[in-house]
Amino acid sequence: MATLPQLIEEDVQLLEAVLRELLEQSDATTVLLIDQGGFLIAHQGDARLFDLTTIAALASGAYLANQTIANLVHETNFSSVYQQGEKFSLFVSRVDDSCLLAIIFKAHLSVGAVKYFAGPAAQRIVEQLKLAHERDPSAGLDLSMLNLVDPSEVFKRKS
Amino acid sequence: MAIINQATKELQVKIVYYGPAMGGKTTNLVQVHDHVQTANGNKGKLVSLATSSDRTLFFDFLPIEAMSIKGFRTKFQLYTVPGQVIYNTTRQLVLRGVDGIVFVADSQFEKMAENVEGFANLEENLKTLKLNLADIPYVLQYNKRDLPNAAPTEYLEFLLNNRDVQVPSFASSAHLCEGVFETLNMITRMLLNKFISQSTPQYA
Repeated sequence: MATLPQLIEEDVQLLEAVLRELLEQSDATTVLLIDQGGFLIAHQGDARLFDLTTIAALASGAYLANQTIANLVHETNFSSVYQQGEKFSLFVSRVDDSCLLAIIFKAHLSVGAVKYFAGPAAQRIVEQLKLAHERDPSAGLDLSMLNLVDPSEVFKRKS
Repeated sequence: MAIINQATKELQVKIVYYGPAMGGKTTNLVQVHDHVQTANGNKGKLVSLATSSDRTLFFDFLPIEAMSIKGFRTKFQLYTVPGQVIYNTTRQLVLRGVDGIVFVADSQFEKMAENVEGFANLEENLKTLKLNLADIPYVLQYNKRDLPNAAPTEYLEFLLNNRDVQVPSFASSAHLCEGVFETLNMITRMLLNKFISQSTPQYA
């Protein structure tokens, strides 16, 4: 089981800076960096407006489903999904094999501009994730002090 | 693939409930959602992408935060897969990035063939993702123990847990919330143990 990338403060700061810049350039509402397994890695913008954890899981599922459809129609160059709404639109774009960028923006804004700025942002994210990976490919998490003989404390049923 | 964020002190882990159709995978998540005791109401919304007849179409999703472990907020993402045969591609998608698996078997005698096929299907689908079941923590849950036609657990053990390394198994009646938390806590324990054995101290 891969426990990577392990992100340290430096990584997260840079990723957030990239997302913040993308947010400002594209005038988007919220930008999310998500793992293709559905985890939210980092985000910028209005977090109170949306349930970001669930959006990350669903956006990753939707992207992967569309990717599978693309393969079935023998389309290989299929790296993004665009959903146009009446209030908000969503653009999900591949960053690399492990990550996706999801951008929520007001529907009246141009998706072209969002796409234009998402490309270079994705490139910078790839570089940082590569650095994080190279720093310590076998990095894990020190949980050695944890007593796991009795796991019943982790999730408790309401009495 | 679990995500460890040293900056925000977060650990995110993905657990997938797998098994034959109508075996009780979604019921497990519903019971966890309904009965889990959380510290600060850190229980996410249960999202079900289901058909009009309540069969899971894509997946069910429940984000949930466990107790803080060594200062890390531990976020678990629980998923179910659709059990029906036609949704195999969908099952492969949901398995992507999986950290731990709960295989929910249906204890009824007439479901044994489906249980065995479902388990073989899990192994096949992991192979398509270049994963090996032996490398992933998993537990077995023998559900529907309250039904009169339930096969003995020894028989289920013989069919599903008959390998070199035997994994923990639990008898359950998910709709009564029996065995649900025991199963979840065991897979959690195995996952965290795996992190410990893999880990090196980090001072970031």
